[in-house]
This record gives sequence, C-alpha cells and structure tokens, in this order.
Amino acid sequence: MAEEVTSRAATVLQTTVEASRSVRWYYEKVTAAKKNNKPVVWAFGLVPREIWHALDIPVVTLEHFPLLLAAKQLSGKYSQVAEERGFTRDICAYHSCFLGAALSDQLDAYTEKRFPSPDIIVASNFPCNQEVKTPQYLAEHYKCPFFYLDAPINPWGEEIKKHAVEYYETNLERLLVFLEKFGYRPDWAALQESVRLSQHLLRLWNKIVDYRKKAPTPMGAADGYICLYPLFQLPGTGIAVEIYERLLNEVRQRAESGLGVVDEERVRLIWAGLPPAYNLGLLNYPERYGAVVVQSELEWIGGAILDPEALNAKKPLESLARKTLLDFVNPTYSNRINLWKRLTREFKIDGIIAVNKRGCRNLPAGNRLIKDTVYQESRVPMIIFDLDGVDNREYDDAQVKANIDTFVESLLSKKGGRKQ
Amino acid sequence: MKSLETMRRYVREPQLLINGYRALGKKIIGYRCLYVPEEIIHAAGMVPYPLFGGPEPISLADSYLQPYICEFIRNVFDRALEGKLKFLDGLVLCNTCDAVRKMYDHWRTYIKTHLCYIINNPQETYSNHAYSYYYIELQNFRLEMENFSGQKITDENLARSISLYNETRSLLKKAYLLRKQDPAALSGAETLDMVMAAMIMPKEEANTLIRDVLKEAGNRVDRRQNSGPRILITGSIIDQPALIRLVEEMGGMVAADDLCTTSRYFWQEVKGDNPMDALCLYATQRCLCPCMHPAEKRLAHLQELIREFAVEGVIYFNIKYCDPFIFEGVMFKEVLEKTGIPVMVLEAGHDLSGIGQLKTRVQAFIEMLW
Repeated sequence: MAEEVTSRAATVLQTTVEASRSVRWYYEKVTAAKKNNKPVVWAFGLVPREIWHALDIPVVTLEHFPLLLAAKQLSGKYSQVAEERGFTRDICAYHSCFLGAALSDQLDAYTEKRFPSPDIIVASNFPCNQEVKTPQYLAEHYKCPFFYLDAPINPWGEEIKKHAVEYYETNLERLLVFLEKFGYRPDWAALQESVRLSQHLLRLWNKIVDYRKKAPTPMGAADGYICLYPLFQLPGTGIAVEIYERLLNEVRQRAESGLGVVDEERVRLIWAGLPPAYNLGLLNYPERYGAVVVQSELEWIGGAILDPEALNAKKPLESLARKTLLDFVNPTYSNRINLWKRLTREFKIDGIIAVNKRGCRNLPAGNRLIKDTVYQESRVPMIIFDLDGVDNREYDDAQVKANIDTFVESLLSKKGGRKQ
Repeated sequence: MKSLETMRRYVREPQLLINGYRALGKKIIGYRCLYVPEEIIHAAGMVPYPLFGGPEPISLADSYLQPYICEFIRNVFDRALEGKLKFLDGLVLCNTCDAVRKMYDHWRTYIKTHLCYIINNPQETYSNHAYSYYYIELQNFRLEMENFSGQKITDENLARSISLYNETRSLLKKAYLLRKQDPAALSGAETLDMVMAAMIMPKEEANTLIRDVLKEAGNRVDRRQNSGPRILITGSIIDQPALIRLVEEMGGMVAADDLCTTSRYFWQEVKGDNPMDALCLYATQRCLCPCMHPAEKRLAHLQELIREFAVEGVIYFNIKYCDPFIFEGVMFKEVLEKTGIPVMVLEAGHDLSGIGQLKTRVQAFIEMLW
C-alpha cells in the first residue's frame, strides 16, 4: 500500500481534539502505573470498562490498542510478526496485530512507549471466539495469571432473560474476587459511582445523537470515530463526562446555527463495520459529492444502545451485565438489526456503506442480513465490499474509492442529479 | 465387513434413513453441535439429526455469509439454501463457535423451518454456577421440545433415551479402542464411517450394527500387517474420509482421532440418577471443543489419547476460517512438541480442494516419523 493514499480524518469539532488527547492521557497513565509497579491488565473482549476505572486498574485493551498502531501505519508490520509465529493471515487483524506486538523482539518507539507488559490477563468470549484464544496463548507466553469471563449470548433481543443476566453478574463478582488477589480490592462505592457516571455519559450521548439526526448533521462520522474513545474506553470516569458535556454544547450550537459538515448536504450515509483506522480520511471522501457519513455503526459499541435509565447505580454489577449483554455486537443479531432499522429511519439515511473485515467472523457475517432487512423496511440501499479496518497491507485505495464513487453517484442520480 | 458396509451405505445415502423416519411419522430436528442434548429431542418422540456438509462446492451461501467464515458452516447453510435439507422440521443450535451462532440468525431469516432454536449453554465448564445457569437453559429447551412435538417428556422417557444413547456411546468406544492394537482391526476411515452412521441412525439399529462390527472385527483377516507410524488426527470437523484415508494410504496408521464426528461424540457417558441433572452435568463437565473453557482440559484429554494409543505424531487439521482450531493449533503444537510429539498443522477447505498439496506434506510427515 502506498503511504500517500492514507489521510487523517478531517474533523470539524474542537472537542474532538480533546477526545483525542484523552487517548494519550490514558496510555500515559497506564505506562506510569507500570513504572510504579502497579499490576497492568491486558483485557480482551467487552469486559465492562467501568470496573477498571472504578478500581483504578491500568488496562490495555485489545479493542483499542491495534487501532492506535493502525493509525500509525504499524498494524501490518505486527500482523506479519504473528504470521511468522504460525498464525494464519485469516485471523482477525486486531488479534494478529496485538499478538505481533506482544511477541515482537523489536518494538518501534511508538509502540514501546504505550505497551507495558501484562501482569494479569482477563478475557471474555463476548463478542467472539477469538477474544479468548489470543489471550490464552499470551497468558501461556507471559506466564501470566488468566481470568476467563464467560458471557452468555443474547438471542432474545431487548428482553434479555433474567437467568442470563444473573449468570454474567456472578461471573463479574468472580472477576472482582480474582482481581483482589493482585491488590485491587472491590470498592462498592467506587463501582456505584462508576455506573452513575456511565449512566450520565449515556444520557449525554443520547442527546448528542439527537442533534446529529438533524440535517445538515452538525457532527459526522470522522468526528464520531475519534469521540468514541471516552464512550467506549472511559465510561465510568469523570473525564469522559466532562468531554461529552463540552461535545454536547458544541454539537448543540452547531445544530442551532445550521452548521453542517459540508456546505450543502445532499446525501446522508452510515458506515457499517470498522472504518480503516490507518486511513480515516476515507470517512470524508464522499464529501466531495455533498455526501456525508453521518455516523458509523462502531460508535454504538460498548452498550451505547442501552436506555441509560436501565442502569441502576445501586446495583452496579447487574447494570453492567445488562449493558454488556444488550450490546449490538452480540454474537446473535437481534439488537443489531433493530439498531439498523432505527438508525436508517431516525437519521433519514439515503445509503449504507458496509465493509467486510477479512478476519472478523462477527459483524461482516450480518451485513447481508442487515441489507435485506433494511431494504425491505425502508428501501435504503447498502453497498458491501471488502475492507480490513486494521490491517493496512491489503488496502486498495483505488478499488475502495471506486466502490464509494459508484454507490454515491447512484444515490445522487436517484435523488435527482449529481453535483457538478 | 458386512455390518460396516451397511453403516457406510447410510452415510453415503442418508435418504434411506430419512425415508424411514418419515414413514414412521417422526419429526426430524437438525442440530449442531455436540452440546445439543440429543436425548431431549429423542424423548419428545423426534429424531435428532446432526448436520454435515456435502461434497459440492459452496455457491448460494457465499452471498449471505462472507467468504471468510467457516467453510463447513457455509457448506451446511448452502445445502439448506439449495433445498437439500427440506426434510428437516426444525433446527437446534447451541452456543459454540461464531459461525454456528451466525447460522442461527440466517436460518431464521432465510430458511424458515417451523423451529429454529439456540441453546445458550455456558462456554465455561467445570463450574458450579455454570451448572446452575445451564440447568435453566436445559429446562427451557425441554419445554420447547415438548411444545414443538406435542408430546410430554417424562423423566422416565428421558432416562430411557439417555440409556439408549449411552449404549451407543459405550459400543462406539469399544470399537474405537480396537485401534490400540497393532495391526488394528479397524482403520481410521472405517471408524469415521461407523461413528457418522451411528450419529444419524436410529440408535437401536446402530447399536445392533456396532455389536456386529465388534464381532466381525475379532475375526478379521484383512487387517493391515504393516501399519506404519501411529498418528492422531485432531482439529476441525471432518465429515468425509478423504484426509484420513490419505494418511493411511501414505503409510500412516490413524491410531486415534479427536473429532466432532468421532471420539468427541461418544467419549464420555451421561451419568446420574436424575436425567436432567445428568444431562446438565454431562454438558458442563465436558470440555472437548476449543470453544469451551478451560483449554487445559482439552489438552489433557489429547495428551491422554497420545499416551493410551501410543501416538507418535499428531496431525492438527484446520478447516479454513475455523478460528477456535486455528488458534488452538498454534498453541497445542508448541506445547506438544515440547513433550517430544511432532505436530503438523494442515489447513484446507471443507471440500479438501487442495488435497494434492496436502498429500506431499502428509507424506513428508510420515517419512519423518518412520
């Protein structure tokens, strides 16, 4: 892949810069903790983040670290290391990239600075099988204590069964007991506060989403991707709430002033699956046609579809169990399909761009299902093509852009003429 | 061997069995995988029918499930889309790999049998609270099967079904243990045919035939005299004998296997006086699938097989995009090789389209073991 074809996301919000800084702030905090001999956790799968923050546990997560490396064009290099150790190219690039960095003898300076070795490994099978296999391997490699957090799937949709919630809640209790062995004592007051802050964050998120539904949208997917970090990685912290309060103010002001992402918003798109972390500028690419990617599906990860009022700070673990098990990335698709019906309707979407990430067995497998369901309900079309959001080695810029060009042009012609 | 020939015929022509079930007015419930309790379906007067792939290449399914998802499940789903599984009245799945879980939503949307149910079993085994949780899931499943069949599942019926299925397991294990001998009375390919047939046949008939296999095997005169290095095959599902036959043709002796279509199906029996307790215990204290935790239990089981069957080398077979085994293959290879057991990881499509290339590698592996 030629380096010049990649570009950073062109963002429009001031608060996005703050969200971006929170990433650096958190990784510096983790590195400092390691230097102070605080046990560092490597976490895989959607283990509720609120627990880490409540107990002040420094964590490196699989779901974020490879995205940082991809943004620095380093993901392919580390996936290659994993492949040299016997893992096939067909596994998820989140995992191959993380494995490669973990197994590499020669880390680059950027990675070295942000990637302290693990003292504890925690893995959950939610949302996919691979989430458990990589950490099992790494726990053996690092001779690390390993905790497995079993999560039931949710084939019931919004009405999740009580026994499933209770089972997961019990497993979270066991996680707390496990963590106590390393000096992280369960602090119920802190857990309650973390859930309260998480609830507040979700309320703010919902208000922001409401403004984003307006046309023109005051905040597109490029800002949304970067602003996802506080919602996904920092729920249960004061810093996430502060950033989202400012984000809400900024989005509200832009919406009230009629400020959009482009001068004339002609087509509204949503991105399904993972946008390319090594080339986030692609989210801005359709803007040349007056087409705006108003959101990416990824922004709803981490329980953002949950009604905040379903969280109860007095019952922190039960609340976190509900938040996790209702997540749209559940291995069964009821809630994902409902989310898509809702997004298409409420955001008045003209078209959906969906990408198949090569090694992912979760989201891409549902793309055709969503395409058919959404089209049946609202006649909104969806284009599906291959694009790995983490591994930059197979990225074909010309092909990807040709797909987007064709799709957007067809939407424009349907709407009555293309922009000259 | 006449009994084996009969069983092999059922595997090649399952329609013979399906016609028989239909003639008896039985509902046929397709299922995947081994964590679906067949006994509950059977006790409701229905036929639990494990789904296997077919030899044909995948066509329609590729436009529904992206081509980077397990080839076996895509093959099964393809057969359903092609109308080749129309004989099914319903489908029951369980919480194992991602591909199986994806098939749940796709089946409900595109195939639309009268029933599509997924058992939400825990993936953690050997834990008391997983047992309590699974017990509720099992009760819900029992109710679902009662409603669908219109037949009450009494504890007596369930106990009878368990006993019948245990008998099949026990007989299959006896036949499997024949391969401890050298030369063995049964080959690996023959064992695969026998187990797959037993999985789809009425258990009463299967039990009679396996007993005959055991009798006939004792008097067998055509057993191979030069059996070669003793090999264990493990990994993703194998539902056609080509790979096992290839190893045997290349001079290897498939002394043991650990597959969803062989020993994983029958290795343990359902034990206990109360049938629901027994089924619950069976599922939560059986860690034979890499989707289940802890992996150490599976590894210990493999190491036991290696010891018991005097295995000299392991072939770890991955179907393309079968993640649980892809990862486990790398892990187990490292561990087993440290104990002096050579391991070869093979990856191929479900249709074994690259078998020519596999042949060279298998040959080299066997030569190394001599």
